[in-house]
Amino acid sequence: MNISSDVIRGYNDTMILYLLWEGPSYGYEISKQIKTLSDGKYIIKETTLYSAFTRMEKNGFIESFSSQSTDTGKRRTYYRITETGQRYYLEKCKEWELTQEVVEKFILKGDNRNGNN
Amino acid sequence: METIKNYLESMFLNLPNTPEVYRAKSELLQMMEDKYTELKEEGKSENEAIGIVISEFGNLDELAADLGIASFVQPNSQVPAGRTLSLEDVKNCLADYARHAYLTALGIMFCILSFCGPIFLSAAAELSPRHEDLLDALAGAAFFLIVAIGVGLLVYSGISVGKWKYLKTERCVTDFATTEYIHQRMESYKGTYAALLTVGIILCILCVLPPIIFDAVWDSSGFWDDCSAGFLFILVALGVFLIVMGSMRLGSYNRLLHLNGQGTVGGSYVPNQQNEPQYINKTAAAVMSVYWPTVTCLYLIWSFLSFDWHITWIIWPIAGIIHTLVKNTMTK
Repeated sequence: MNISSDVIRGYNDTMILYLLWEGPSYGYEISKQIKTLSDGKYIIKETTLYSAFTRMEKNGFIESFSSQSTDTGKRRTYYRITETGQRYYLEKCKEWELTQEVVEKFILKGDNRNGNN
Repeated sequence: METIKNYLESMFLNLPNTPEVYRAKSELLQMMEDKYTELKEEGKSENEAIGIVISEFGNLDELAADLGIASFVQPNSQVPAGRTLSLEDVKNCLADYARHAYLTALGIMFCILSFCGPIFLSAAAELSPRHEDLLDALAGAAFFLIVAIGVGLLVYSGISVGKWKYLKTERCVTDFATTEYIHQRMESYKGTYAALLTVGIILCILCVLPPIIFDAVWDSSGFWDDCSAGFLFILVALGVFLIVMGSMRLGSYNRLLHLNGQGTVGGSYVPNQQNEPQYINKTAAAVMSVYWPTVTCLYLIWSFLSFDWHITWIIWPIAGIIHTLVKNTMTK
């Protein structure tokens, strides 16, 4: 079972901001961390990730800068979170809690409906 | 890695040439490269790594709104995506155009050579008055025969590239790898082109030698002196053959390289494109498009009316200077 990209779209930003709050990072590292943290259940597409970067940069949630990688010495575009981004992230967290709370009420747990009858 | 790069280039082929699009392309390439390197380090095979990277690339539609390229990635956009020429198409096309160049040059050469028949035969006619009528008749026949061969070649060569007409009428594109291929072919051809052009021009300049030499050796009368004009035309014909063939082949490379619209990412695959001059208005462009044919007509009319061939060539250098002047003042 795969996660539908429609459902998770609204929370890509949240995931990215969460990771950036831990420290500046670059494209592939973020996509790798998302994969690891989700135990390989969610793999973000490159285009999705880049579109999130440009959108959030436009909105002032993150900033980009060019820097050399410490291990390989390769130049990459790094992103870091801004204060606005942090505020936005906290809002999104609250929004998710509410969303989860609401949707949860409509989700069957344990046995299925037929068995419950 | 080359496959991934080509994949990305082909995805961006028809997108407009803007800084945003460029940035997107290089950022995406960076991510794909990182992922590819890591997969390889994990011990995945080349094909596996490429497969994973491409399958996890996603869709450019997602970037449409951010990059302002919505009209380019949507299928029903106003700008048609255009026909993509495969490497095979391009190879066939280049082969056909090479033959076209050869046949056209040959046709033109025969048209020039057509003067030789009458010249030699009438010179011979003066030598043997007994066969004068016969030789004069042959002279006329030879002229038309050679012209016919020349024109036939020109017509045939024109038809032989008819199937590539759509390159001019339809919007066509070539992908990154193919453009690279054409570019390399053109670079390696440039040496041959330089040689052809040089020898061709030298022959055209040296064409005055036969009359001068023959005149000096056999005085200004007799068979050989009558023939000297014929040798002049032979040298000119050979020179023109080399120049036309060389230039037309180079032209075919250039035509293919310019298929990708300048405004799209594909258009930037060719470094330092030499563009067709952009005239400031339509009238100038229209006039300049018939400039050289007009000059040719003027040259022929003046030459044939006055028969002052020794001076009428002056039209060419003058026309050349005027052309450069107009191009420099009337272009954007």
